Amino acid sequence: MTTIQNHSDTQQLYQNQYQPEQADAFHGAGSSDIDELIQSNPNLWRGCDMAGQGIQGRSTGFPQLDEILPGRGWPEKGLMEVITPHWGMGELQLLIPLMRSIVEQGKWILWISPPYLLYAPALVQAGINTDQVLVVKLDTSCKDALWSMEKALQTENCGLVLAWQNWLPTKVLRRLQLAADTGDTLGVLFKHHDSEHSPSPIRLKIQDSYTENAGFNESEVTVIKARGNFRSLSANINLYQQP
Amino acid sequence: MKDPDSEAQLPLPCIAPESGAQIIQLPAQDRDLAKEKTYSATAGGAQAKAVTKRSRSNSLWYALYLPQLRELDSAQQKKYLTQLAELMQSVSSTVSFHPQALICEIRSSLKYFSGIDAIHQKLQKLFEEQLQQWAMADDFSYAASPTVSGSLLLARSGHNALVYQKENLRSALGQLPIDVLDLNKEQRRRLLNMGINYLRDIWRLPSDGLRKRFGSNFVNQLNQALGKAAEPTQNYIPPPEFIASYDLPYELENLDRLLPIADELLAQLCDFLRRRDLSTSSLVLSLFHEKRDRTEINIGLRMASRSQEHLTLLLETHFDKLSIPAPVVSIKIEVKKFDAFFAKNDSFLRDDELVSTPYSNHNLIQFMEQLQARLGDNYVKSVINTAQHCPEHASLHLDYKEKPNRKIGAALSTETPANPRPLWLLQKPKQLNINKGRLFYRKPIAILSGPERIETHWWSGADVCRDYYVARELSGSKLWIYKEKNDAGKWYLHGIFA
Repeated sequence: MTTIQNHSDTQQLYQNQYQPEQADAFHGAGSSDIDELIQSNPNLWRGCDMAGQGIQGRSTGFPQLDEILPGRGWPEKGLMEVITPHWGMGELQLLIPLMRSIVEQGKWILWISPPYLLYAPALVQAGINTDQVLVVKLDTSCKDALWSMEKALQTENCGLVLAWQNWLPTKVLRRLQLAADTGDTLGVLFKHHDSEHSPSPIRLKIQDSYTENAGFNESEVTVIKARGNFRSLSANINLYQQP
Repeated sequence: MKDPDSEAQLPLPCIAPESGAQIIQLPAQDRDLAKEKTYSATAGGAQAKAVTKRSRSNSLWYALYLPQLRELDSAQQKKYLTQLAELMQSVSSTVSFHPQALICEIRSSLKYFSGIDAIHQKLQKLFEEQLQQWAMADDFSYAASPTVSGSLLLARSGHNALVYQKENLRSALGQLPIDVLDLNKEQRRRLLNMGINYLRDIWRLPSDGLRKRFGSNFVNQLNQALGKAAEPTQNYIPPPEFIASYDLPYELENLDRLLPIADELLAQLCDFLRRRDLSTSSLVLSLFHEKRDRTEINIGLRMASRSQEHLTLLLETHFDKLSIPAPVVSIKIEVKKFDAFFAKNDSFLRDDELVSTPYSNHNLIQFMEQLQARLGDNYVKSVINTAQHCPEHASLHLDYKEKPNRKIGAALSTETPANPRPLWLLQKPKQLNINKGRLFYRKPIAILSGPERIETHWWSGADVCRDYYVARELSGSKLWIYKEKNDAGKWYLHGIFA
């Protein structure tokens, strides 16, 4: 557990302890009004509220995942890390509803050096317009790939930037995060290993949940960290919705 | 050679013997009189008129008539004439277009070239070379006279005549047959019926009657030829060109230091473009070195622009990657291709409609150019779905630049196979092992669905005959595998559903 999360826990305790009295005290004034007032202020942090902080996320397309994400969906902008033990664990399936909604918005998706060839028929099957998809080839040097990612994140026309980079120093991640904030863009980094002190606001991990009984049906998606969440949560999701 | 006027009308050496140009010695006092007239008029109110009259009467028009262009349509003719006009610019700054002919003003160049003979020889050489290059007949007729239409008529008649003085124009033109005029069939028939074969026969007719019977165009044409009416011409305007260079006071090795200078040149370029309401989509920046070949940077833009900011940014990106063989001593920017400038339009009423306009992609295009400038040409790809049965060929990765020309237009498709396809395809199918009777990749594989038989490309030699299955690895990955029918039933991994 990081210190921040510990801090969140104490706040939660604090709130649990004192909220009843406060609520009682304000009952006369009409608690719904106050609730509304609290809701309307995005800067007010309420530890026990999953949908809090005024963040309105973009639905992930997976109800179980929406449940455990702050704002009930993907954030509108920022950097996201998706950690899988190896490539191709369903991490792209997880993002397909997001890609679809971004393409519908008229924005572009940039794939920066994906480990395999991107296959157009599958994109069309998933309902993603290939006119709005661009790929930067795999043999691009790491420096150039990161440069492209930063520039793409700063560009408002790029709605989503996907990159496959395993080891990135905190400084670089911080820079990418800032770029994503400027461009109102969502950047996704695919990695093999989790680094605890990463500054990215969201870190997800996908693991197989193979059991003898359930077979291959579902994968375990863990939200290791999400700005607004106070502990890691996980859900079992059937990522491959297509037969 | 002396001033041509002092020798009055001398025929060109190659003038045919039947030439209609009369050689009449101009009386010396006549010329003086003309001068006096102008000078005396400077005091009077008619000053402007007199000066214009003098400048008009003083010009000498050299016409080149190319009958071999007659069969071509007007667009093609214009194309050839434009190229010839470019050559003609070497002797005169005023070149005008006429049907199958070019006419230039040469009075102002006579002194520089020391006589009309030199001008003629220079043009003849240039034109003959050019016409031979086009595999056309390299003969043409020419003439010079004080009026544009007069020169044209003389050239059309095939008489290579030279008339210096306006006064002599009437008699020179009089000998030409009426066919040199722009006549329609009816007009020609009527003139012949009237017994008129030469222009001099027309001179004798009253102009009122001519105007009534043949229309004002006809009379105008004759008046223009004689210098009695204004002659509007369509002049050749050379295409714009921008070249700016700067010699550095000292050698520079650090390209970052060069940026402010390049920026200054780009500012000049953008100013040039703004003044002419143009934009550009390609420019060449050359860096010169001592004793080495120059380094050239070609900057191509997907959308024409004249934004200094954007061009500077692109240049900066190019400089980032550039390594120069030696210090830079001089820098030059050259632009030869220009496009019309289209300003960005804002929507008048609804903001949400802006998304659909092509201009909303403006930033994106700038970004793509920057990306290409940094990564190189072949690194940014667009993905295209094609109607191909063979899995390897159903997805094309094309250069981002290549996309608009749609070479593969017919093959583009939005249709997909009914069976699921993986998001990722392996460049080369990977053979799978079989371990204890189970398929094995990194972990054991279990087949979920299939088979889907794909048989194609038997015509190309690389026969494809495969049974595709969707399978799941124990680790959780969903895979696209196939069993080769021909190759002793080996199993391959071809895609990952990711």
